[in-house]
Amino acid sequence: MDKIQSFYPVVSNQKLSPCFYRLCFDAPQIVKTVQPGQFVHIRVHDGLEPFFRRPFSVYRAQKHVEIFYEAIGPGTEILTKKKKGDLLDVLGPLGTPFRLPSEDVEDVVMIAGGIGVAPFLILSDVLKARKCRLILLYGGRTAGHVYDMKEFKKNGCQIHVATDDGSIGVKGRVSKLFSKIPCNPETTMIYTCGPHAMMAAVQDFARQKRMSGQAACEEVMACALGACLGCSVKTTSGYQTCCYDGPAFELGEVIF
Amino acid sequence: MNLSVKIGNATFANPVTVASGTFGHAEKYYNLEEVKKLGALVPKTVTRHAQTGNPPARIIETASGMLNAIGIENPGIDGFMAQKLPSLQKIGVPLMVSILGHTDDEFVQIVEKLNGQSGIAALELNLSCPNLGHKVLVAQDPQAISRLVKRIKRVAKFPIVTKLSPNVTDISEMALAAQDAGADAVSLVNTFTAMVIDIEKRRSVLGNVTGGLSGPAIRPIAVQMVYRVARRVKIPVVGMGGIMTAKDALEFLIAGATMVAVGTANFVNPRAPLDVLEGIKEYMKKYKMKDIKEVIGSIHL
Repeated sequence: MDKIQSFYPVVSNQKLSPCFYRLCFDAPQIVKTVQPGQFVHIRVHDGLEPFFRRPFSVYRAQKHVEIFYEAIGPGTEILTKKKKGDLLDVLGPLGTPFRLPSEDVEDVVMIAGGIGVAPFLILSDVLKARKCRLILLYGGRTAGHVYDMKEFKKNGCQIHVATDDGSIGVKGRVSKLFSKIPCNPETTMIYTCGPHAMMAAVQDFARQKRMSGQAACEEVMACALGACLGCSVKTTSGYQTCCYDGPAFELGEVIF
Repeated sequence: MNLSVKIGNATFANPVTVASGTFGHAEKYYNLEEVKKLGALVPKTVTRHAQTGNPPARIIETASGMLNAIGIENPGIDGFMAQKLPSLQKIGVPLMVSILGHTDDEFVQIVEKLNGQSGIAALELNLSCPNLGHKVLVAQDPQAISRLVKRIKRVAKFPIVTKLSPNVTDISEMALAAQDAGADAVSLVNTFTAMVIDIEKRRSVLGNVTGGLSGPAIRPIAVQMVYRVARRVKIPVVGMGGIMTAKDALEFLIAGATMVAVGTANFVNPRAPLDVLEGIKEYMKKYKMKDIKEVIGSIHL
């Protein structure tokens, strides 16, 4: 009945680090239309438990659609078992994409916590042709949560890492890294995705420096089509749906 | 094959509809040619004034289902008529508009605004939303049901479907109260009041503390309630509660439902209402039935 549901074959499903996986599926329709910040809603099995589909940011959409995910619960555990050729029941692309930087932006700072890095590779794919500097600030709990980010490097991103325990990169919060990056607030655009506390800290800093930005939010979703109103995000203009009004919101408008 | 069914003076091309609050943004996400195949569309419940809804978390999945405590977030009847109704009317499927007033007067005011609008086939009275913090719901009080239905029947230009809550001792008493007050149909069941606790935080997961359980987890209870109600009332019953497939929907029809609504399944499989419709047709073909009335209430006892 919907226009956005299809079954796509899995191309590959790799473990990238102790926590993270990357799954590719062959979905030319999605590759053609998806924009950075949008997501796909995947039914990981035909059973009734877990019951909901699972939403994943599109990590990259070049030859295939790629999602980057962490095995953290029953849904993503099932996803780790998918093999080449398995058909995936996918809704997408869904949601409001990132607002892209205007032409006068010189520095794009992407600030990610953990799996929150997922929407940023496709963003850097789109922005690499521009003259702006791309900076990725990446925070994880431990070295095990940080993976090799060579695709970001290939896209010309400067990468700075922080971990809670200092096992790799700088010890401390990724939001601290941000204050050390020299950039002109008037020509900087921030993109952030990660835990609420991290995004709240980024928002505080951005507000002090009067920097503009976008936040990609994540909530438990049922329909992902803006119908059930289950995935509300509190904003300065009231509750908005993460799936339809977001996942990308103006950074200053989200109430974390 | 005749699939058409009637509620009051309204005719529906087939018995398959969607449950309130589970279907939206049709023009953006749905193939409207396919949506047009449904018997009716039920938009999200609309109230007299805009409501912002409950604080998050509003949903959580459970075994074979989910809890929700949305809090009827909606733009209010004026916003609904300005922003939502025109695109719904354009689809061309008869609408069953779900309404909720916090007082009888509010219900009447909503009905008066909807009277005269095209494309509306019936009104569904939401008496049973368990999420707004009342101690007793209208749906739990047969006298309140009777009083409200009588009052609305005096002003409404559309058939009235009274939606019943399963959170009562005997749902058939509530159905009888609605019928005796003049309701043209009853729909059941709404969600079961339920709760999930986060054992690490020792807090309820839902922002509203309690919510409503829906999905396949409740289906056998809902089938039993539809069966019980259908045997006691003469007016049509709209059956719902965890319908995922045509087989599920057929259970409700055989138990006595005249129409069936697909709800929570829309969140997992947006094709579910169409799959249900196609499956009902196949079933009728298999048993060489020519009219859906041969299915409705056909249970052998």
